[in-house]
Amino acid sequence: MRISKLFINKQVVGHPIAQSIRIRLNVPAEIVESAGQVYEAVSVAADPIKRGKEILYLDRNRGAFLKKCPGTSHYTCCDYQILHIGTFCHMDCTYCVLQTYFHPPVLQYFVNHEDLMAELDTVLSQKKILRIGTGEFTDSLIWESWTDLSSMLVRRFATQNHAVLELKTKTTAIEQLQNLAHNRKTIVAWSLNTNQIIRQEEHATAGLAARLQAAARCEAWGYPLAFHFDPLVIYNGCEEDYRQVIEDLFSHIAADNIAWISLGTLRFPPSLKTVIQKRFPGSKIIYEEFITGPDGKMRYFKPLRIHIYRKIIEFIRKHAPDTVVYLCMEDEEVWKKSMGIILDDVGGLPKMLDMSAVRHCKLNSDGISLTTG
Amino acid sequence: MDSKSSDKQNGFKDEPPGNAPNYSTVSMADVIADDFAFRITTRTGIEDLVDSIEQLGLMHPPVLIRNFPGYKIVCGFRRIAACRHLGWSRITARVLEKTADRLQTVLLAVADNALQRSLDLVEASRALNLLTDACPDQTRFRKAASTLGLPFNAAVTDKVKKICHLPRGIQESLVAGTIGMSMALALGELDQPTGEALLGLFDRLKVGLNKQRELLLLLKEIARRENCAVQQLIAEKPLQKILLNAQLDRAVKRQKIRSYLQQRRYPSISKAAAHYAKRAKQLKLGDNINLIPPRNFEDTAFTMTLRFNTRENLNDLKKKIEEIIVHPAFAEILDR
Repeated sequence: MRISKLFINKQVVGHPIAQSIRIRLNVPAEIVESAGQVYEAVSVAADPIKRGKEILYLDRNRGAFLKKCPGTSHYTCCDYQILHIGTFCHMDCTYCVLQTYFHPPVLQYFVNHEDLMAELDTVLSQKKILRIGTGEFTDSLIWESWTDLSSMLVRRFATQNHAVLELKTKTTAIEQLQNLAHNRKTIVAWSLNTNQIIRQEEHATAGLAARLQAAARCEAWGYPLAFHFDPLVIYNGCEEDYRQVIEDLFSHIAADNIAWISLGTLRFPPSLKTVIQKRFPGSKIIYEEFITGPDGKMRYFKPLRIHIYRKIIEFIRKHAPDTVVYLCMEDEEVWKKSMGIILDDVGGLPKMLDMSAVRHCKLNSDGISLTTG
Repeated sequence: MDSKSSDKQNGFKDEPPGNAPNYSTVSMADVIADDFAFRITTRTGIEDLVDSIEQLGLMHPPVLIRNFPGYKIVCGFRRIAACRHLGWSRITARVLEKTADRLQTVLLAVADNALQRSLDLVEASRALNLLTDACPDQTRFRKAASTLGLPFNAAVTDKVKKICHLPRGIQESLVAGTIGMSMALALGELDQPTGEALLGLFDRLKVGLNKQRELLLLLKEIARRENCAVQQLIAEKPLQKILLNAQLDRAVKRQKIRSYLQQRRYPSISKAAAHYAKRAKQLKLGDNINLIPPRNFEDTAFTMTLRFNTRENLNDLKKKIEEIIVHPAFAEILDR
C-alpha cells in the first residue's frame, strides 16, 4: 500500500530523521500534538486497519528499544530480543497478527535513533550472546526507501563479536545492504511461503522467486541467511507446494550459509478471525481444524501440526541435514514427535540458536555466557 | 355561564386551531388500497374487525392523506380492508391535506399502532425507517421515538431498521418467534436461497437461538472449507436422511445433525475424540473413576477423578487403577 499521509508528532518535527523522511516521502504532512490524534484519524475510517497502513506516524519511542520477544505461555520460545524500531507494516498479509496487536494499528516509526543506539551500545557492551531482530512488530526492510537505519545497524553490529542482528522481511529491499562492512554479524532473513499462499494471503509482498533471488544476492554479498516458514498454512496440496518451495530455496542458497530455519504453523488470537472474515472475505485459511490452545490462541489440531512439521523437516533434511531447524512456539510433545528432539537434552532452544549464531556469524563465545546460562 | 366559560374557569383550553382534525366522508373507490408507505402493522387478517364493525360500526375512523385524485392510507389499513369486505362504498375518515407536515403524518401512522400495543420487530423497523426519513434532526428523532416507545439508541436503531428490508420469509419467521433479531440479521446477510434453506431447517428442528447460531456457523464454515453452498449442504442426503426420519423425535434429530456437522467440520478432531472414547470404554472405568483427556488434546496432562466413601472403596479403585495402567487401551490413549 502507498503511504498517502504523514503525521509528525510536534516533539520530533525538527528531528533530522523526521525531516529527512518528510522530504523522501513527499506526501502531505500534519503536525500532531499526540498519538491520540492519529489514532482518531485512523479509527474513523471504514477500514481502520487499511487506513493504518496508508499513513505513517513519526514519533519518538518513549519506552525501551530492546524488548524480550513476548512469546506465549505453555509453548517454547527462542529468547529472541526485539529491537523496537516501529510498528505495523504497509504490506497486507491476511493472517498478520499485528492487525489486532495494536489498537488501532498504525504504521509508526521512531526517529530518536540516538536513544536507540545508546541503548544498543549498553546492551552490546554486556558481551553476551544475543540474537536481536527488528522484524517482530514490523517488517525489517519496509523502511529502506525512507531511512538509513538498517545500514546504521549493520555497521554497528559489525564492530562487535557477541550479538547478531536479524533483518526479517517479505520484501526485496536489499540495495542498501550491498557494500556494507557487515562482518557477518547481520543475518538477513526471509519469511517463505508457497506461491499459493503468497498470492492469496500475503498481499503486496514480494513473490517467492523474488525473495529467493534477493536472498541469493545477500549471500553473494557475504551475509549469513535465515528462513522462516511461518506461518505454515495447511490446505489441500500444501505438502507438495512446500516441498517445491524447499527445492527452490536450496537451488538458490547454500545450506551451510543458513543460520537457522524456523517452522511455525498458523496461529492467531480468536479476535483475528473476525478481522480476516471482514477484511479478506475470500480467504479460507481460518476454516481449517483449529483448537484453542492453553495460551488462548487458535492453532491447528496438534496431530495436524506434527504431520506438517514432519513433512517439512523431511524435505529440508534432504538438502540440509546439518542446518538448524527449529519450531516456533511449540510444546515439548510436538518437538519430540516431529523432530525427535527433547530440548532439555540439547540445552534448550535458545542455546541451540545461540550456538548456530556463534558458528555462522563467527561470534566470540569464549568465557561468556550464552542466553540460556 | 355557558359550558365553554366553565371549561376555561376549570383550566381547560380549546384545541389549537391548526390541530383540529378534519373528518370527511370519502368514496371507498378513492382510497388507494395498494400504497403501503405508512403501513406499520404486520397483521393482515381482518376477520375480527369485520365482526366488530358489522356489530358496532367503525369506532375509530382511519386517517387518510390527500393524494390527488385519491387518498393514501396513513392509519387504518385493516379497518378499511374490513369495510371494503363489508361492501361499504363510503367511509368517514380523518383527512390530512397533501401539505400536512410529514413528521406529523408519520407520528400519526406510528402512534395509531404503537400507543395501543407492543410493536413486533418488523413493525418497529417500519416505524423507525419512516421516522428517520421524516426527521433528520437527531434530537427531535430521539424525542419522537422515545414518546412512541421505540428504541432510539443509534446502535440498536441501525440494526432494527434493517429488519423491514429483509426477505419476507425471514421477517415472518422473526414475527413468528422462530428466530431472533440477531439471527434474522445474520440470515439477511446470506443470499436468499441460503437464508430460506436455513429458516426451513430451524423451523423443522425447532432449535433455540444458541443452537441456531451453532448450526449456522458449522454450515457456513463447512461450505467455505468445501467450496460449496450452504443450501447444497442442507439438501445433501446425510442431513436430509436425518431430517426426514419419521422414527426420530426432534431432540434426537437435533443431536444427530449437530454431531454430523461437527464431524464434517472437524474431521481429525472428531476422529481423535471417537478414538479416545472407544479406548476409554475398553478400560471399563465404571461410575467411580472419571478420566478426562486434555482439552482439545492439546496439553499432555490427563485428569482422573475418583469417587469413594470408604477405605475399602478406595482400595477397590486402587486395584482398578493398577489394571488401567497396564491396559493396552490406556497405552494407546497416552500415545495418542
